[in-house]
Amino acid sequence: MEAFWAGLDNLASWPVLVAILIGSVGGLAIGAVPGIGPAIAIAILLPATVFLDDLVSLVLLLGVYGSSMYGGAIPAILINTPGTPVNALTTYDGYAMTRRGEAARGLSLAYSASFFGGCFSILLGLGALMLFGPYLRDLGALFGQRDIFMAAALGAVLLIAAHRKTMGIAALLFGLGFLIALVGRQSLKQIDRYTFGIEYLYPGFNLIVVIVGIFAISQALFLLAGKDADPPEARLKGGLLHGFGELKKHPAVATISAGYGTIMGIIPGVGEFVAQFFSYSTARAMSKEPGRFGRGAPDGLIASEASNNAVPAAAMVPLLALGVPGEALTAMMMVVFFDAGIKPGPDIFENNPDFLFSLFIALLIINVLVILTLLFSTKWIAKIIYVPNRLLGAFILILAFVGVFSIRNSFADCMFAAGFGYLGFILRRLDWPLVPIVLGLVLGSIMIEKLTAGAGQIKTVFDLVNRPVSGTLFVVILIVIAVTITQSLRTRRFEH
Amino acid sequence: MKSRAVSPALKSATAVRPLRSSATGPGFASACPPDKKINVTDITDFRRGRGDLIFSLFMAGLALFFLLFFFTQTGWEDRKLPHNMARYWMDQFGVTAPEGRTARLGRILKQGWVAPLICLCVLVPAALWNLRGAWRAHAWRKRFKQSTAVTYELGQWLRALEYVAWFVAYTLLVPVLGYLVSTVLLGTLLPWRLGYRGVRWMGICLAVSFTIVLVFRTGLQIKTPVNIWLYDQLPQGMETFMQVWF
Repeated sequence: MEAFWAGLDNLASWPVLVAILIGSVGGLAIGAVPGIGPAIAIAILLPATVFLDDLVSLVLLLGVYGSSMYGGAIPAILINTPGTPVNALTTYDGYAMTRRGEAARGLSLAYSASFFGGCFSILLGLGALMLFGPYLRDLGALFGQRDIFMAAALGAVLLIAAHRKTMGIAALLFGLGFLIALVGRQSLKQIDRYTFGIEYLYPGFNLIVVIVGIFAISQALFLLAGKDADPPEARLKGGLLHGFGELKKHPAVATISAGYGTIMGIIPGVGEFVAQFFSYSTARAMSKEPGRFGRGAPDGLIASEASNNAVPAAAMVPLLALGVPGEALTAMMMVVFFDAGIKPGPDIFENNPDFLFSLFIALLIINVLVILTLLFSTKWIAKIIYVPNRLLGAFILILAFVGVFSIRNSFADCMFAAGFGYLGFILRRLDWPLVPIVLGLVLGSIMIEKLTAGAGQIKTVFDLVNRPVSGTLFVVILIVIAVTITQSLRTRRFEH
Repeated sequence: MKSRAVSPALKSATAVRPLRSSATGPGFASACPPDKKINVTDITDFRRGRGDLIFSLFMAGLALFFLLFFFTQTGWEDRKLPHNMARYWMDQFGVTAPEGRTARLGRILKQGWVAPLICLCVLVPAALWNLRGAWRAHAWRKRFKQSTAVTYELGQWLRALEYVAWFVAYTLLVPVLGYLVSTVLLGTLLPWRLGYRGVRWMGICLAVSFTIVLVFRTGLQIKTPVNIWLYDQLPQGMETFMQVWF
């Protein structure tokens, strides 16, 4: 409990509280604009966090991450366009409600389900920290270099397997990200990897340069080269509080969906889409009226929103416990940890337990703040939907420059960011996923770092898997690969 | 034995009446129910578009390029490996008993070329596999007489280069005119080029550009280029003020 109070005490400062407020409200607004997701906002904000206190930076980014999905439900329900990619399923039932003239009901249900999902995983996390905190301190002894190497490898395998229809592309882009991470001069042995004698490439590519390029500049180019959307005008009538009452009628769907979100968030490389897929399918299977799904079924909306909002808190678990980010946003947050000198990983339970509590309590505050803001200001936030896309693109481009230049005062960085942005633009045009590049960069670096650090203990190939954790993770990797191959073959046979 | 309950979805599917329309006449009847059931997998749906083959070719070429330079750009020339590798791997997997002193696997894994090799083991096969998928999609389009023209897609790619040029120009302009002036210029000229030309739009763009500068440069003191040509032309006091705040 001491760590809990210390964590709470960490948050009791003006800069942190202001960061929570800006992050939450800003995240809501960002989520509500179709075309700007939390990834772009975090990519742009990332360089600014270098100048802020570590906890202030993290709660700011957490605020954006935790609240953007609430905001993303607004255009998904009102104009059938998801604000963030994870709100895609929300459009199925949410927009159907709007077409029936029940927009307020849809929004209210989405908010209450999101709030339930968010709080569910946060409280679970806080409870686990309180109950198992003392035992988790010994986790550091269980996890050696080889174990974390294997955890990162599992993350990579799961990431590729989760891209069900684009596995080849995900593997290719993961490999590309991995290769980008390798470029540069190896500090110990002065070996140049793929530098081709270019001096700029000796220190390697900066992670933020790649992230800003791939996420922010590419999206700016995508918006600029596209056309302005002309969303239909949505009318919002009625209160937004009754969703909580309706949520009570579907306790099983809400709990199971939040549970899926929590589990899928914890598993590296999986994330919101798989959680939504499972929770929506389960909700439909449980429903007495499955035919209503996609036509404004309240349980469909609850399943979608409760699961995706349970992910952010859960996604912090692999990042904090193993130092292995499970998806792009937590990978970006890792940069803040590095800057703050805090090494996420098993030792964090021993060295910074209060910090963990601070993050989870901050997430809880963010959820409360967001729901209060939404209940009273949805009508104003909904107006953000109508900001022209191409104008947004122009300003994302301006913000991207600040983000890239401020890291190392390097014009070369800006040029490379433009190059990565153009690559990301083509990927977006072709509907190829962007996340594997960033995770390839981060997980690839972790894998090589841990493999090199643990090389002293590796005499034979079996030493890679002869520890309890690494052995278990290796078996899980084999199972995932086997299941994925079997499923692919079955799907192909079915399609033939 | 307990009879298996029929699910409501199945009931509704079997209860669909044959479709008869005035266009097809009374002779035509379809028992197929209209497919209104939504599919959850739609959110992960993926179809290879036009331009996919070209980009897949480029990516495969890139992967092969890195493979080609693996031998000169990764420290492969300075590798330290046992003489008989086949025997070494057999020893490693316990197929044969090691004779004398054998090199630890860890000593090999530490070498600089290992990481690129692991990476290429993922990248190259994935690139070739993806190229195969792109080629098959292209062949499918041709077979079913669908358009395979890539002119539009390539046009879109080229179109985006204009905005890359705007970004590069902005980057080059900042050391000459300073962050404030360059941002205001890009923040108004680019929207003008995009068609937001009224006084109202220009006012909004000006205000947003100025706010960005105030938040990031004046407020957060984020680093922007120093030694700005325009600021050097200003009187000493003003030059310092501009350099500190804008």
